[in-house]
Amino acid sequence: MAWHDADSWLTLAFAPHPGTLALALLVVIALPILLHAYIYRRRAPDSFPTFLLVGPSGAGKTSLLTLLSHGAPSATHTSSTPTAASLTLPITTTPASSRYRSNNDPSADRARKFRLLDTPGHGKLRHYALSSLTKTSPGGALKGIIFVLDAAALGEDAGAAETGEYLHDVLLLLQKRHTGNKTSKGPAAIPVLVAANKMDLFTALPQSLVKLRLEKAVEEVRKTRGRALKDSGIELSAGDGEEEEREGLADGYEGTFGFKMLEDSDIEVKVAGGSVKGDKGEGADVQEWWGWVAEQL
Amino acid sequence: MLDTFEILSTSGVVLWSRTYVPVHSYVINSLIREVLIEERTNKVAYGDGTTKPTYRKDGYIMKWNLAKDFGLIFVAVYQSLVHLTWIDKLIDNVSALFTGLYGEQLKGETSNAKFPFDPYFDREMQRVEASNDTSTSSAFEVTSNTEFTPPSSSGTDHGADEPPPMPGLRKATAPQKPIYNPDTSTDATPVPTPDTSRPSTPASRILTGKTRPGSKPSRRDRKVKAAENSAPASSGDETSARKGKAAGKQKKNRVWNEFGADEEDKSINLDYSTVSANDPADFELPDAINPESWGRTTGKGQFVLKDLDEEMDEIIASANAKKESSTAAGGIVGSSLGAIGGLFRNVVGGKTLTKEDLEKPLKGMEDHLLKKNVAREAAVRLCDSVERDLIGLKTNSFTTIESTLRTAMERALTKILTPTSSLDLLREISTVTSTNRPYVLSIVGVNGVGKSTNLSKIAFFLLQNHHRVLIAAADTFRSGAVEQLRVHVRNLKELSKREGGEVDIFEKGYGKDAANIAADAVTFAKENKYDVVLIDTAGRRHNDARLMSSLEKFAKLAKPDKILMVGEALVGSDAVAQARNFNNSFGAGRGLDGFVISKCDTVGDMVGTLVSMVHATGIPVVFLGVGQHYADLRGLNVGSVCRLLMS
Repeated sequence: MAWHDADSWLTLAFAPHPGTLALALLVVIALPILLHAYIYRRRAPDSFPTFLLVGPSGAGKTSLLTLLSHGAPSATHTSSTPTAASLTLPITTTPASSRYRSNNDPSADRARKFRLLDTPGHGKLRHYALSSLTKTSPGGALKGIIFVLDAAALGEDAGAAETGEYLHDVLLLLQKRHTGNKTSKGPAAIPVLVAANKMDLFTALPQSLVKLRLEKAVEEVRKTRGRALKDSGIELSAGDGEEEEREGLADGYEGTFGFKMLEDSDIEVKVAGGSVKGDKGEGADVQEWWGWVAEQL
Repeated sequence: MLDTFEILSTSGVVLWSRTYVPVHSYVINSLIREVLIEERTNKVAYGDGTTKPTYRKDGYIMKWNLAKDFGLIFVAVYQSLVHLTWIDKLIDNVSALFTGLYGEQLKGETSNAKFPFDPYFDREMQRVEASNDTSTSSAFEVTSNTEFTPPSSSGTDHGADEPPPMPGLRKATAPQKPIYNPDTSTDATPVPTPDTSRPSTPASRILTGKTRPGSKPSRRDRKVKAAENSAPASSGDETSARKGKAAGKQKKNRVWNEFGADEEDKSINLDYSTVSANDPADFELPDAINPESWGRTTGKGQFVLKDLDEEMDEIIASANAKKESSTAAGGIVGSSLGAIGGLFRNVVGGKTLTKEDLEKPLKGMEDHLLKKNVAREAAVRLCDSVERDLIGLKTNSFTTIESTLRTAMERALTKILTPTSSLDLLREISTVTSTNRPYVLSIVGVNGVGKSTNLSKIAFFLLQNHHRVLIAAADTFRSGAVEQLRVHVRNLKELSKREGGEVDIFEKGYGKDAANIAADAVTFAKENKYDVVLIDTAGRRHNDARLMSSLEKFAKLAKPDKILMVGEALVGSDAVAQARNFNNSFGAGRGLDGFVISKCDTVGDMVGTLVSMVHATGIPVVFLGVGQHYADLRGLNVGSVCRLLMS
C-alpha cells in the first residue's frame, strides 16, 4: 500500500475521521500541558539576596565559603569553576531589615537567608566574576561584593599589584554601571566589602595599612591605565568608526586615589580584617564580615 | 608508594582525601593552574592513549581524572622516583566508585556533604595493589574466598527485601552516622575478645525478633542458622578475631542507638527495660537491624569486607556498562523513539549531550574556525576541549545543541586569549627602572613580519609616556636595517620633541655579533640613564636551527626583561610552528613573554592567527598592529576578538 492510495495512513490522517480528530484534539490539549510541566517542573529558585565573592587567587574565597556554610573551613585548592551556597546569618547578628522584629518571629528566618557566589580568582577565569557583576544574577538581586584579599601578600609588591588591579577592575565596572545607566534614578548601589583575610599571620598588614596600601595599588593601576594603549575593539570590528571614550576610575578627581572618590558613583567601600583559618587555638574571626553582610540584608 | 589521593570539586573544595605522606597544597594547585586552567600542554606528558597523562612538579608525579558531569577532579600524587603501574586503574576505579556512591549527593550542594569513603578506598587500594603483585594476590584470594562462602543467608535475606543496586547510596543518605566508620576504627585497634562472647550474638538476634512482632520467625531462624554456619566455615585465628571485633563494634552501636530507641516509642522501651537490665547490650539492636540493607554489614561484622567488595564490583561494573551502552546503538524502537525525543529536546532543551550529538556541530564549528584562519591543529584541539567540556552536560531550556556549543566555544576562546597575569608594560617599566637599571625589551620574529615597524610603534608609545628610550640596532645582517631604524629614530625625535620623551639609536654597523651589540647597548643605557632599551633583531626562519641557535646566546647576554615575538595576522597554519620554535629557542628557563600580532588591519575578521599562536604556547598577545602609523598599536580586546571569530 503506497502512501498515495485512497486508504493509506496519510490519506486517513487528513480525512475527517473521528479517530484522527480525537488524536488531533488530544495533541492540541496535551501539548501545552506537557510543555508547561516540562519547563516549569523545576520551580524557579527562591530569589535570595546574593553576595559575590571576588578576589585574587589564593586569597581564601572558597575557604570563606566553606567556613560560612558549615562552620569550619575545609581544605581547598585553586578553583576553576564558580560555586554558590545558600547561607543563613548566625543568630547573633541581626539583618538590618529585621531590626525591629522579634527574635521569635518565624518570618525573620527568611530574612536571614542569602546566597553567596564564589568565583575563581585565576587571571583567566575572572570573567565569571566580572560578568555576574554586569548582568543580573539568576538567584536574586546582587546585594554586595565581598572582595577577599590576602593581607600578608599585600605587603609584597607582586601581591599588591595583582590585588590592586583586580580591585580596580571591579570598581571600574561598578562605576561604569552607575555612569552607563540611562534613567535618572540610577541602579541600586552595590557596596563593596574589602575583606582582608589571613590577619592571623605574622606578616599580615594591619587593617589601617591595608586600606592605604590598596588605595596606593589602585592608584598605580589607574595611572598606567590612563596612559596605556587603546584596545583593539574599534579597529577590528571595522565599521562604526566611532571613538568610544575611555572611562577611567574616578576620572573627575585630581590627586591620588582614595575610596572616598567613589562615593559619587554610589560605591561604598569598607575595609575589614579577619581570618578564615584563625589563630592557633582560637577559631575563625569573621564577625566583622558577618556584621557587614547583616547590614546589607 | 602513593603520597596523596585527593578528590576535589572543580570549585576547589577538597571533598575527600587520603594522605600517606603530606604534600604541600601548592603541588596540586599548580596542577590545576597550569594544566586544567591554562592548558599548558607542554608541561604534560601524554600517554599512548591507554595511560593517563602525567604532570611532574618538584619531584612529584601527578595523575588525574576529571569527572566533568559531577565537576570532580581525582588526583593521585606520588614521588617521581617510584614507578607505580596501578595508579591508572586505581584512579579509574575510585572515580567510578565515588561517583556511583555519592552521585545523588554531588548533584546538590557539595560544600556541606560528608563522604565516608575511607573503607572503599582502602579496599580498592588493596585490590589494585594485590592484582599487580602476584605473590600477595594468591594469598589474598584464599582469605577472601573463605570469607565469601558463609554469608549465603545474608544474601537471601537481602534478596527478599528488594534489589537495591547501590546500598552505599542509601547508607549515605540515611540520617544516622554511617555504620562502617566504627568498623574501620575497630579494625585499626583490634580488641581481641574471647570466643565466649560469640553466643551472645545469636541470642541478641532472637531478641531482635521479639522486639518486632512484624518480622517473621523464619527469618530469625535463618539468621541463627547463618550465624552457626558461619562459625565452622571461617577457620583459623584471624576470622575468630574478626568475630571478636564484630562483637566489640556491636557494643559501640548499642550505646549510640539507645537514644534513638528512647525517642521512638516509650512503650516499647518500657517493655524491654527489664530485659536490658539483664543484658543492657541487647535491646538496642533492633535499630541496627531494622533497615535490612544495613543488617548484613552491621549484624555480622566479619562480612563487611565481602560486602564492600561486592558493592564496589557492582558499582564499577555498572559504570563500565554505562560506558559501553553509551557507545553501543539501541534497538530500532528505542532509537526511533530516542530520535523523536532528541529532536524535541533539541528544540526545548534539557537534552543530555553525547558524542554523537556533538559530532556534526563540532565539525561545523571546526570548519568555521578554519575559515577564520585558525590553524588546523589549534582548531582541532579547541574542538576537542569543548567536546570534553560538553559531553554529559544537559542543555538549558530552549537552547539547541548548536547554541550551547557556541557559548562553550566562546568561553573556551575567552579563556585562551585572556592573559594569566597583568600585561601592563608601563607598570613593569616603572618597577624595573626604580631599581636603577633600564628595562630591556627585545623583539624577534620571522623575516618581513614587521619587527622594526612594531618596535618603533612601541617606542612611540613609550615616548608619549615620557620615557628615555634607546633603540639598539642588533640586526647586523640585512642591508639597510640600521638605516631604516635611523630614519625611524629621526622621525620619532621630531614627533616626541614636544612630548618630553627622548630617543636615541645605538648602532655598531653590520657584520658584528648581535648578542654582543645588545649587551653593549644595555650597559651603555645603564651608564647614560635610559629608561628603556628596545632591541631589534634580525629576522630568521623558525625552522632553521643554525639561525635560531644564536637566540640562546642573545638571551643570555642581553638578558631582556621581555621578549616579544612579532607574528603576522596573515600567516596561516604556520603560526603554531613559528610560535613554538621561537618559544623554545631561548634555552631552558626562558621563553617568549608575549606576541605582537602585526597587520591585523589587513585580515578583516580572520583573526585566527591570534588563537593559533596563543594556543600553541599559552603566551598572551600583548599588542596588535592595526595600521601604518606610529600610533596604530593597540592592546588586545578579548571580547571583540571572540565576537569576530564567532561571527
